[in-house]
Order: sequence, then structure tokens, then C-alpha cells
Amino acid sequence: MFSRLQRVMLLGGLILATGLGPGPTAAQTGKIVLYTSQPDRDAAQTVAEFRKVHPGVDVEIFRSGTTEVMSKLAAEIAAGQPKPDVLLIADAVSMEALKRDGRLLAYAEAKIDGFRAGSIDKDRTYFGSKLITTGIAYNTAAKLKPESWLDLVRPEMKGQVSMPSPLYSGAAAIMLSAMAARPDVGWGYFDKLRALDAQAVRGNGAVLKSVASGEKSYGVLVDFMALTAKAKGSPIEFVFPKEGAPAVTEPVAILKTSGNPAAAKAFVDFILSDDGQKLAVSQGYVPAKTGIPNPSWLPAGTQINLMPLDIAAILAATEGDKRRFAGMFGG
Amino acid sequence: MRAVSLPETRHGERTLLVTLVLVIAALSALPVLRLLIEGFSLAGGLSLAPLRRALDDPATWVATRNSFETAIGGTVLAVILGTVVALTVSLTDFRARHAFVFCFVLPLMIAPQVTALAWLQVTGPASPLLQMLGLAPPMGSKNPLYSREGIILLLGIQYAPLVFLTLRAGLRQLPREMIEAAQAAGAGRWVVLRTVILPLMTPGLIAGTALAFVSSIGNFGIAALLGIPGKYVVLPTLIYQRLAGLGPSVLSEVAVLSMIVGIIAAGGILVQDVLARRSDYRIATTSIAARPFPLGRWRRPVETFAWTFTALVLAIPLLGLVIMSLVPAYGVALNWGTATFANYAYVLVEHAAAKRALFNSMWLAGTAAALIVVVSIPLAYFLVWRRSRLLRVLGLAAELPYVLPGVVLAIALILLLLKPIPLLGLALYNTVWIILVAYLARFLVLGLKPIISGYQQLDRGLEEAAQVAGARLFQRLRQILAPIVAPAAAAGALLVFLTAFNELTVSALLWSSGAETLGVVVFSFEQAGESNYAAALAVLTVALTVGLMGATAGFARRLPEGVLPWRD
Amino acid sequence: MARLTLESVSRRFGAFTALDRVSIDVADGELLAVLGPSGCGKTTLLRAVAGFDPVDEGAITIGERRVSAAGIHVPPEERRVGIVFQSYALWPHMSVAENVGYPLRVAKTPVPERQRRVDETLALVGLTGFNTRKPAELSGGQRQRVALARCLVMTPSLVLLDEPLANLDVHLRHAMEAELASLHRRTAMTMIYITHDQAEAMALADRIAVMDNGAVLQLASPSMLYREPASETVARFIGEGMVVDADIAGRAADATRRHATIGSIPVAIRAPAGSRVEGGARVCLRPRDLAIAAPGEPALEAHVVRTLYRGGAFRIEARAGATGDEILRLDAPEPCGLKPGDAVRLALKDGWLLG
Repeated sequence: MFSRLQRVMLLGGLILATGLGPGPTAAQTGKIVLYTSQPDRDAAQTVAEFRKVHPGVDVEIFRSGTTEVMSKLAAEIAAGQPKPDVLLIADAVSMEALKRDGRLLAYAEAKIDGFRAGSIDKDRTYFGSKLITTGIAYNTAAKLKPESWLDLVRPEMKGQVSMPSPLYSGAAAIMLSAMAARPDVGWGYFDKLRALDAQAVRGNGAVLKSVASGEKSYGVLVDFMALTAKAKGSPIEFVFPKEGAPAVTEPVAILKTSGNPAAAKAFVDFILSDDGQKLAVSQGYVPAKTGIPNPSWLPAGTQINLMPLDIAAILAATEGDKRRFAGMFGG
Repeated sequence: MRAVSLPETRHGERTLLVTLVLVIAALSALPVLRLLIEGFSLAGGLSLAPLRRALDDPATWVATRNSFETAIGGTVLAVILGTVVALTVSLTDFRARHAFVFCFVLPLMIAPQVTALAWLQVTGPASPLLQMLGLAPPMGSKNPLYSREGIILLLGIQYAPLVFLTLRAGLRQLPREMIEAAQAAGAGRWVVLRTVILPLMTPGLIAGTALAFVSSIGNFGIAALLGIPGKYVVLPTLIYQRLAGLGPSVLSEVAVLSMIVGIIAAGGILVQDVLARRSDYRIATTSIAARPFPLGRWRRPVETFAWTFTALVLAIPLLGLVIMSLVPAYGVALNWGTATFANYAYVLVEHAAAKRALFNSMWLAGTAAALIVVVSIPLAYFLVWRRSRLLRVLGLAAELPYVLPGVVLAIALILLLLKPIPLLGLALYNTVWIILVAYLARFLVLGLKPIISGYQQLDRGLEEAAQVAGARLFQRLRQILAPIVAPAAAAGALLVFLTAFNELTVSALLWSSGAETLGVVVFSFEQAGESNYAAALAVLTVALTVGLMGATAGFARRLPEGVLPWRD
Repeated sequence: MARLTLESVSRRFGAFTALDRVSIDVADGELLAVLGPSGCGKTTLLRAVAGFDPVDEGAITIGERRVSAAGIHVPPEERRVGIVFQSYALWPHMSVAENVGYPLRVAKTPVPERQRRVDETLALVGLTGFNTRKPAELSGGQRQRVALARCLVMTPSLVLLDEPLANLDVHLRHAMEAELASLHRRTAMTMIYITHDQAEAMALADRIAVMDNGAVLQLASPSMLYREPASETVARFIGEGMVVDADIAGRAADATRRHATIGSIPVAIRAPAGSRVEGGARVCLRPRDLAIAAPGEPALEAHVVRTLYRGGAFRIEARAGATGDEILRLDAPEPCGLKPGDAVRLALKDGWLLG
């Protein structure tokens, strides 16, 4: 006895398995709940585009900051009834933590051809949707045009650098662990930042304000925020440091507790599809899939030097690293 | 005082008492209890490990000490500012007091983080004001506001109107004879102030101080904006740090830290309780309001100083918002070439959720204010006059949802209300009603405190006279007590409305599609780096509220006397 | 109108006994004053009768209805007891007419009748035309009348007055005293009048209950209290009584009197019927019982401590060696040449044997 749902899933699986299905799988119906930390407009667009492919699926969105989304989910799990079917949040380490707790559904059949190495979980529980890199933003009035992370620890940088605190931002925590683990950067780098009175603030938004308003000359900032502001006229520039830019992949994942896994998988399929990737580009992000044209702010053919990340290792190290950071930078 | 016993309470009274107990238990005690359970559970079992870990962590104690320092400092500053302004405005021949009161209260409705940001900009290297004066510090120099003193300063400024509002209601009822009696006894105006007016205002002072204290302890916006860069961590920011952590123990750690916040707040409440009980402040005469003290040749200096101060406190954040709302992007200087109304157009026309949020926040804040006053008038009656012991314990619980960071309260409510309420089968989760529940729980204390102080200044004979006239409790509450405590109740309602209107942290976790609040929309603009939209929305909000507050003047004549703090 | 009965009513606050087995029976239409120093329990008594406080023991009955007893407590709003509070407790947000009409509003009296009765009652207390004033705009005496009107308008079964004149100046107090007396005569309402002022109580009351330390010391008519105080405390509290030692020797020719010797002066004093006191005793003297002795008349040797002119007569205060520290007071007609320090001889005309 198969329920209708199971039959649909079975059918979908068969089509995938036999490689018959070009493009989207069979049209899905029902409702899915999406928890996301994407900006409001991006989230709405993503859902609207998805529904063009699957008009029968209603998508209910809850959007908030990554910390807020994860807190809400944690509370729902503690109360015994996680509501979302699909998660689309900024960083992979949070996903890795959920995977470790056995919350994520493996989707082995997902089509991941052409996706950059490191953006996809090897067990197929979460899938990077784009690359949000962290680089250096600087005020156009700044004296020096930085090229390297090490430029931020020159003596003349005293009091000029702002960065998001890893204690409050998941993306910043990833960067901390990644850079601390690198031999060419390491903890010594953060020691120098501290000695130069680099300022840790809450979140990327605060860094943007600080640099754009001229309170600080330089800031550690995610690419799209700097470039969107620049496009609107903010006196701000952005560079990818030559050592490489650590990136978060804004992964998408399905919860094991999903009541509509077929539709949830269809959503993941859409995110990973060429259409989905092009949508991300149109929103100003670097796509996770190779072969998709870069966003307009990035000259065609520009190779972004990505800092390779070992998500599992970062998850293991992050609490200790944060504690050490807190010891150095106070709150 | 009279004994507690309530012999042969009427059926109606008992029903009311039971209802109040249930309401407070459901709103305040249950969420806090649920959170407490979370603090002792780990991996499905009971455990003391999260507690031990939090207590062993030096960061916990640093944050606790810092929270004490800033909360006490901020409270002292708020009490001094609020009291001086309330006394000056209410008791002297200060001119244009209506406009002044209006302007002094208004900053309450600008979110603390907006105020803090504006102050940072005005005092920082990019400050247009300082640049104009040639005093701007060089780029990259550290802003002195990123410090304990900075946090204290902004907390004091933010919460001075709380103290002001609770005091103002009481000062209006100060009878002329009491001042004149003291003057006749040869007391000068300072002696009258010290020996008669301030002692009589003790209930209002205590209530205002308590509100400023719990507000300062629980404040996240200012502490985050100034404390994180200033390397000064307080309990609310530490709780956010833990929330940004990963894994199954996050909630337990957060719950344990929240308990510490709760304990500090409860300590403050107990001190306040002891102080309030030490003496009797009932004013048993009916009289016309005191004649204003003439300021004489000090009138102009005092007025100038007061207006300058208020202009600063109001104008700095407001101007910052207006400028930000008129430029296309952050950091663009405002001039004829760059000025644009595009942000307003976007918020008003293109962005559907912004209008919805404005409407939602309006009715949520309004409903919360109205319901809280309706609950608080009988609740304060039982707390102050009937001294119901059960309610007093619950009264302690009523303060906790306000001192906890909003996110934590939201988590507690999710834990409690995720599944439909048993027996009733009522599903609040993912509806707008859970936000209303959260507002009622969180802001109850803001409405309750001023009303409590109102009762404490009341002659019990006023109720007893109605009692012997044959009026039942409900009639007495409605026809006698409510009109008499109306000024205090209005102050409370205003506090609830203004605070709930720009609330952010609770609804950030509890909103659902169609049930956005202003805070949610502002937050999502900010997160997308679109501060200019956020600023435009905030300016619209302030304009709308000013309009509403102004409109109240129109029907002020039909309200009981002294209900609107900015009307005489 | 109804009688009020208190049967052995006790009220305790912790270890403190505020009312100690108080028994009082007030007749229908009677005006009873409760007199005592502050803290004697008179306000507690009033609150127990009004129903604000429960009683620990004993019973209170108003008319035929038992309102307070073990296990019974009729709430104040059902007792139909009117109270005039010492603070007047006028509601500041209501006009005079609204204040006075409130009991009728609560009783859902139709508006026209309500207006009529408010006007009548305001006329009764002399406040016709004050309907729309707010309490804050009234003088102390006017407020007092509003409070009285509010109490009378409900035609209560019983009126409790809690030091209603204490906040008024002397002139107003005398005027209001007279008005209250006439009001009582006209309405024939049962009234309990709480006061610490014995002159007020004497002037108004049919009977007076003298209280001290939570207990009723004596309940009697003003003249009985004056003439025949039941105890030394009552004797001193009422009518400027003096209490001195005496030696009782036996019945006098008049059966109601006893032979007594006060400081070697023989005097026939009044005594309670059936008193069997012999030997050492205490005697209450009133100023009118003393006089400046004619030459040769047996008298106490005393010296003047103070003289007070009282318009047409002098109040002489003197101390006699035979009566110890007790200040002896008497009135002497003008002219009177006594000065403090002068020797004076005091004749004893009468006295009352205590106990």
C-alpha cells in the first residue's frame, strides 16, 4: 500500500534514477514551510520563481537573522515539533551542526553536477546555493588600497579596522576558524588586529555603516553588501584579498521531519537548477555552480580566489576559537 | 496595615481574583517556568551541567558585573533626569510646557538602537556637526561612547521619560495645601521640595526607578551597539553570543543566563517592595493643584537649558534618521543633488509588507496597551490594597518577561505555545495572536507600575465610601477607582504603546506571513544593508505617532483630567 | 432606621487587641457617641460595624440582621450603613451632585427621582445650588456637608460619623454641631458618632460609650457619665474630674450618700446604690463640688497654682497638702483677688464614691 505521496516520491525517484527527467521533476503539490535568513526581497523572489515551476506548492516563509532563525528552530525542536520543511540559511557550519544532531534528510539524488567543490555536503544533506565571500571593504577616502589580509595589520591601520564579531555572526565565526587554522595567517594575525584596536561589531550591517559613514576606513565585509551599497552611491570599495576570500555558501537543506519531502526536494532541485542559479546571480550573488555567468559587479572571467574550508573541522573548532577570540576582544 | 484575610469574599470578587491569578500565571509565570525547565534539561534528561557550565564560565560573572554597573548607572541618570524635568515642568511657571512634555516623551518611540547609532554618528569622526565646528576627531579614532560610560549615558537618556511619566501623574495630584502648609511653616522652596514633595512622590519615584532599572538590565540595542565594539559585554549581549552558538545545548545555556537576569531583576523588585512598604504616602485631601513656583529671573535660563537638552535628545536621533532616509545609500552626503524621496516611495508604494507592518504594529501596540490597562487596574487594586499574597508572588513573575531579552521571551513562548493549548485546542503559533500574547506578557509591567503607584497615593476612604454607598467591586473599579487612577493608567498605556510600537526582538522570532511588525520589517531592511529604507520607515512611524498624539489633544476635554501627560 | 447591637465583639491584630469584648446596644433613633483618646479602638469599632474589618469573636446585628459573627461577614456594600469619613473621601472626579447621587446611581434609582432626592438632600445640608461644583472648589465645611449629604441620601439604616468635625475650625464646628443635632432630631436616624472631643460628645449624644484600650469603660447618658463615672479613668476623662483618696465611714442620713473624710474634712458623698465600700476609697470630685470656704468652715488648706480668667469667673487651680499631687480645680466668681502662690481654703460640697 502506497500513499499518494509515496507514489509521487517513488515516481520522482524512478524518473531521476532512470535519468528520464530533463528539467524539473513531476509537478508537486501541497505546502512547504521555508525558514531562511536571505534578505527579504531575495527570499520572496526565490519563492516566486520556484512557484512558476511548481504552481501547486504553497510556500510559507519565515525570514529573520541567522541567529534568530536557528533559535526559533532550536526552540521548536525542543518543544518537539520543528515546523520547517526546508532551510536556506547563511552558513554551512550551522547546517553541519544540524546534520550532526541527525536533523537533516539526505537527498542523494540531487543534481550537483558542476557545483564547486566544497559547496556540497559529501553526504548530500545540504547544498550550497551561492558564494557569499568575505573580503575587505574600504572607504573611498581611505589612504591605502588594501590587497591582502595582511594589509589590515600594518601599523598605520591603528584604529581604522572594523569587523563583524564571530561571537554574534555565523559567517564571521567560519572566517575566524578558517583563518586561525591557516599557517600564513593564524592567531598571530588576530593578536595584531587586537593590538591595532580593530573593532569587532555586531554583524556585517554595522561594518557597512562604519565604513560607509567614514567612522572607520577599512572593514571586513561580505561582498554583496559592499557592492550593493556601492552601486547605490555609497563611498565604498571592495577587494578580494589575494590570500583568498573565505565564503559561506548559503546552503539549502531538507529537515528529516518534513511532512512534504517531495515538494521540499523539488525546492532544492530548483535552487540547484540553472534557473535557480541564474536567479541568485540576478540578485547580485556569485553562483555556486560553475558555468553560470557572474553577477554584473564581477567582471566576466574574474576568478575568485576562494579560501578552502573544511566545514566539519570548523564545527569542531568553532566553540574553542570563539572562546579564545572573546578572551582577546572582550565581548 | 490591616490583615490579609478576605472573609466571605463576594462571588464576583473571587471570580475576578481567580481570573487575574490565571491571567498573570499564563502570561508571566508559565513562559518563565517553561524556560527554567529548559535550563535544567540536556539531551532529553534533567541535568545540572548547563547551570554548572554557565556558573564556571568567568564570562558569566564579568557580564553580570557589567550589567549591574550599567543598569545602576543608567537608572541613576534616568531618575535624575526624569525627576528634575518632571518637577520643573509640573511645579514651576515654565512656559510652553505642553509642547515640551510632548517632545520629552517622544524619544521613547525611537528604537534604542536607532538612538544609539545617531549618537555615535554625531560624536564620531564622520559627524557633520563636529566637522562644521572643526572639532571632528580624525578618522579611526575611538569614539568615547564605546564604553561603560557611553552605555550608561544612553540608557539614562533613553529611559528618563519612563521616570518622568510615572512621576508626572503623581505630581498633578499634589494638593496645594501641602505645599502651602510647608511654606507657612517657614520652609523655602528647596526645603519644601526635599521634605514634602519628594517624600510624597515616593511611590512614583519607586515605580519609575524600578522601570528604569529593569529596562536597563534588559536593554540589548544600546548594549550591542556600544558594548560589542567597546569590548564591554553585558548579560543580554552574552545571551546573544550563546544563541549564535551551535548544538543542542544552546537553549539550556541561554535559559541559565536568563535566570541570572531574572534573579537580578527579582532582587531589584524585592528592594523596591521593601521601600514601598516602609511608609504611607496616601494623600487624603481633595484640592486644586499647587500654584506654580515662580522661577523668577531663572525662568529663561531654565527654559533654555531644558529645551536645548530635549532638542538634543530628540533631534540627534531624529535628524540622523531623516538624513539617512533622504539619501540613496549609506555614507552619501545629503545635499540638493543627492536628496531623494525614493526611499519613502519604496516603503510606501512598492513594499507591501511595510504598510501591513505599520498597521499591524499600530493595532498590536494599541490592543496591548488597552488590555494591559484593563488588567492592571484590578490587578494593582488587589496588589496594593488587598495585599493578596498569591498575587504578590505572581507580581514578581510579571516583571521577568520584560527583563529577559526579547528573543529569550520569544523562545519561551515557542516552547510553550508551539503545540495547540491543551483542553482549549487553541493554536496560537504562527498567527498574529502569539505576538499579542508576547506583548501582553512583556509589557504588562510597564502598564502596571504607574497604576500601582497611583493606588499607593490614594486614600482608601475613597473606595470605602463607594462601598458603603452599596457599590460592588466591579462598579467601584469602573466608576470610582478607574477615573481616579486614570492619569497613572494613561501614563502606563502610553509607555506600553510607544515601547511595543517599535519593538523588534520578540517579533523577530514570532512573526509569520502577513503578521509582520514594524520591527520585523526594519530588521530585515537592516540585514539586507538597506538602512535607508529602514530610516524612511522609522521617520514615517514617528510622524504617524506624533500625528496620533497630537490628535488626542482634540478629544482631551472628554477624558478625565490629567490623563494626557502633555495636557493640563 | 434600626438598632445596632454589638455582643462581646473582639478584634485582634497579631498580639494587639484592638477591640476587647465590646458590647453596645444602640436603640432605634438614638445618637450614640463613642468617645476615647486616639488609639482606644473607636475607629476599629466603626470599621467593624461598617464591615470593612471582620470580627474575631462576638456578633454585630443591625436591625434584625446579623452582619458580623463567626463565619458571617456581610460586606459593607450590603449593610446600608452610611459613613461620613474624617477625610470626607469625596471623589475628586465627580461634581457635588454626582458625589451625592452616587448611592442612588448604584441602586439604579431612576434619574428624575435621583435628581429630586439629590436636590432635597443638598437643601437639607444647606448646599442648594452647589450641584455642579467639584470637591476641589469647596471649603472644608462645604466638603463636610457634601459628605454628609452623600451619606444621608441613601436613607441608611445606620449612620456612622468618624470625627466629622475634627477638620473644621472652631466656629464652623459649633455651627455644624448644632446642625447635626437638629438633623438627628428631624430624621430620627440611628447614629454612631466617633470622637475624641468630650464636649462634642456631651453636646450631641443621647448616650456616650467611653473607650480605652479596646474596651468600653462605661456606656451611659452624658449626665450620668458626669455625675456617676464608673471608674477613675472615666472620671478623669469626662468633666475635668479629680480623683482623691477618702476614708468611708458608713451611710449618711440620706441613704444614697456615705460619710467620707477627705484630708480630715468630713463630707457626705454620693455612692452607687448598694455599695458596701468601707475604709480607704477613691472619690471623684467635680469643680462644682469645691468652693472657697467661708471663715470657720472646715476646709482643705491649699495654695493657688494657677488662675485662668474665663469671662465673669475665674478657674482656680490649687494643690492641697492633704490630697497630694492632684490639682484641684474650682470656679470662683469675679472679682477674685487670688494669685498663684496665695494660700486658699477649699470647702468640699459633694463627691462621688468610685467603685
